[in-house]
Amino acid sequence: MTLIATRPDPGPARPYAFPGIRRVTVSGGTVVAAHLPGQLLASAMLLLDAGAARETPGREGTATVLAKSLEEGTTARDSAAYALALESLGAELSPSVDWDTFRVGVSAPVPRLPDAVRLAAEAARTPRLDPSDVARVRDDEVTALRMDWAQPGPRADAALRADLFGAADRYGRPPHGDPASVAAVTVEDVLAFHQAWLLRPGVLLVAGDLTTLDLVELGEAAFAGTSGAPLPPEAPLGVPIRDHRRTILVDRPGSVQSTLRIGHRAPERATPDYVPMTLAATVLGGAFTSRLNHLIREVKGYTYGIRGSYAMTRRFGRFEVAAGVQTAVTVPAIADTLGEIARTRLDGVTADELEVARSWRAGQLSVEMQTPGSIVGALATLVVHDLPDDYYATLRREYLETTVEQVSAAAARHLHPDGLTFVVEGDAAAVRDDLAAADIGELIDAEL
Amino acid sequence: MTTGQYGWVTSPSTPGASTGYPWPIDSTRLSNGLRVVVSEDHSAPVVCVNLWYDVGSRHEPAGQTGFAHLFEHLMFEGSAHVRKTEHMRLVQGNGGSLNATTNPDRTNYFETMPSEHLELALWLEADRMGGLVPALTQETLDNQREVVKNERRQRYENVPYGDAWLRLLALLYPEGHPYHHATIGSMEDLNAAGLETFQAFHRQYYAPNNCVLTVAGDASPAEVYALAGRYFGAIEPVAPIPPAPSAHLPGPATEPARETITGAVPAPRIYLAHRTHAFGTAGYDAVTVLATVLGDGRGSRLYQRLADGKRIAQPDYIGSYGVDLAHAPAPLIITATAKDGVDVTTLEEGLTEVVGSLVTEPVTEEELSRAKALLTTAWWRQLSTVGGRADTLGRYATQFGDAAAAAYRLPLWLAVTADDVTEAARYALRPESRVTLIYLPEESA
Repeated sequence: MTLIATRPDPGPARPYAFPGIRRVTVSGGTVVAAHLPGQLLASAMLLLDAGAARETPGREGTATVLAKSLEEGTTARDSAAYALALESLGAELSPSVDWDTFRVGVSAPVPRLPDAVRLAAEAARTPRLDPSDVARVRDDEVTALRMDWAQPGPRADAALRADLFGAADRYGRPPHGDPASVAAVTVEDVLAFHQAWLLRPGVLLVAGDLTTLDLVELGEAAFAGTSGAPLPPEAPLGVPIRDHRRTILVDRPGSVQSTLRIGHRAPERATPDYVPMTLAATVLGGAFTSRLNHLIREVKGYTYGIRGSYAMTRRFGRFEVAAGVQTAVTVPAIADTLGEIARTRLDGVTADELEVARSWRAGQLSVEMQTPGSIVGALATLVVHDLPDDYYATLRREYLETTVEQVSAAAARHLHPDGLTFVVEGDAAAVRDDLAAADIGELIDAEL
Repeated sequence: MTTGQYGWVTSPSTPGASTGYPWPIDSTRLSNGLRVVVSEDHSAPVVCVNLWYDVGSRHEPAGQTGFAHLFEHLMFEGSAHVRKTEHMRLVQGNGGSLNATTNPDRTNYFETMPSEHLELALWLEADRMGGLVPALTQETLDNQREVVKNERRQRYENVPYGDAWLRLLALLYPEGHPYHHATIGSMEDLNAAGLETFQAFHRQYYAPNNCVLTVAGDASPAEVYALAGRYFGAIEPVAPIPPAPSAHLPGPATEPARETITGAVPAPRIYLAHRTHAFGTAGYDAVTVLATVLGDGRGSRLYQRLADGKRIAQPDYIGSYGVDLAHAPAPLIITATAKDGVDVTTLEEGLTEVVGSLVTEPVTEEELSRAKALLTTAWWRQLSTVGGRADTLGRYATQFGDAAAAAYRLPLWLAVTADDVTEAARYALRPESRVTLIYLPEESA
């Protein structure tokens, strides 16, 4: 054999550092910037406390329609001129909405960033919002959602969300609305949302080589014409867990796979268990060698991939497992998934598994945070969750120091196999009898 | 292109545009033929190890479609000194990210690691280059065959329009051409895949002299050369490696091709496709700029005229792009999806008109500089990670024999003129060479 048989030891560990953070207060807002020497591109993001949770009931999708209307011209120029001005900088606007925030992002070569930020602010603060344009964007968004909902996944996501949070609650409805709620959005809803939430200063995030960037100038551009104080945070929603399991069937006739969404409620992002919960979920369903992916992909061959994680926002959290499995093995795949969740709750994690999970999570903080875009995302996490500037160094240390006992305890506290909801989006005619016969939980049909 | 704010010689405000690769590039070749490329950059404590094997689905004979890709999966399932699933565990368990991809041209493998684990990554890659065959079992093959069949279901069969790429390739390239079949392969061929075929496949193509090893990031050339010699140096070369089936084509198609699919799709959608020039040629650089002028961004002709303008196409689903294949004229794909109430004929007329305008209405300076600005950002975004840099260098070393040729691509894009774009359109976008693929929803049929 011509190969070296012995696995090499690691070289000397390199020190970890998150890029240096600078904060500037200007024009009533705050600029939070990270210095990335030598990067040729820079990213900026206007982060506003204007998430989907602020939408009026029944009009879910209002913020998304607004986000898509921002580029339909501004008070200074029409939509074609705006597109040309922005794209000639090599920049494109990426407005987005999540539960907690409304984000307007832009990236460009460093010398172009100030002009790109000016244009992003122009769209966010002074959009034209001509009623006929807004109505058209709304109609296009209804169509786009119907396109999206024809894919496997969105309907299953909606069914799980409605079951966990209640269909009457904003948090029980899809973050970007559904075709019916977006169709109900009026021009006045969109204008009112803009007036109420997008004219507050918010925070400007910047990542790139700051040597030649004037943060005061960027902040002045971002916060011009805004007013208002930061909004007080609202209380967490709590963690109700049902005392029995439920299976919800979403029919997708002819589907060759069943799309699985399995989950229950969990604590919000501020939970002191954040690190051990993340590590427990990594062992269960995060890494490639996780229990779920190992059993259901690598041993059984039921799926191309399966993952499990906690998703957490300011006010709520959720445990979720997601996979697409071949139709014929729907029930065995669910049974195996349930088995691994129950085993992880009962027996916790092993030292070997935890070693992989914590090294992976710690290493990812440098491996997956190389670009200005990813650093802006990391800064957004600091701002949204009110975390200190040294947070990522602390997080890295906590990942590496958390013990088997702490992670196993978190798994026991925050995994609830007996309260799970199993959503199966697939060919109902092919899977219904098997699901009914299997001892998973009460079987109901989705109302979608 | 000599003037304008994105001029690549004169502009002081577009950093690095006089070269598309402002980091160092060093390379060497081991005596067994393995080419080693290093791009040193210590600005972050991470390093990427990337291997391009010059084998892809274009090498697959009839009856073995999907084998190159299924083989890629087998490369993660253990080798002489690495147990099944241990590869993934060792990379992720030391903080790294990893993946591999197969396309018609080639297969690449890559992991980005905290840089103290460079040696581990090289050891893992050498072990599966030189020691896969003894570890390959029927059980592993059977398992990964099922995984790949699920990949096919998930990505191509279970999503609306998911099989468009499979159909376009078959329409663009004649029967028997190495690009005629899709990389994912057919279920029938995957089911027939035998263990001996894969053992032979590895012996034939997974050789040091058929590979480029690139390391980008926090490592020096001297360090990488020493480690590459230590771990890969004794792996025997394979000679000769048979060439892929001939990919020669006399030029654009001379007969249009058309296919209409009625099925479970939410709205009518049209794909227009043409064979253009091979990636890496001046002609393809013009096609790259053309595709950006035509269909990238809200300022593009397609968006301005059909999503805005006539308002017959859905704004989220309109665009055009080239597929960067290097061994035969590469495809340009143009797509639009009808808005509610717009019939497919109206959409096709609109699309045809805008495509035709590239010949009849010369591209303006504004359109050209917009496209070049977007391409510049896209180029730097690709190179903003050590993984993107390593893959780019591996591509140029494999396909053009010189990693440093990567530095020319951006300046060559920026040198494309309006006349070049018109000429590319005139050559490649003729109606008689067009492939048209239309999807119609069942109820409107």
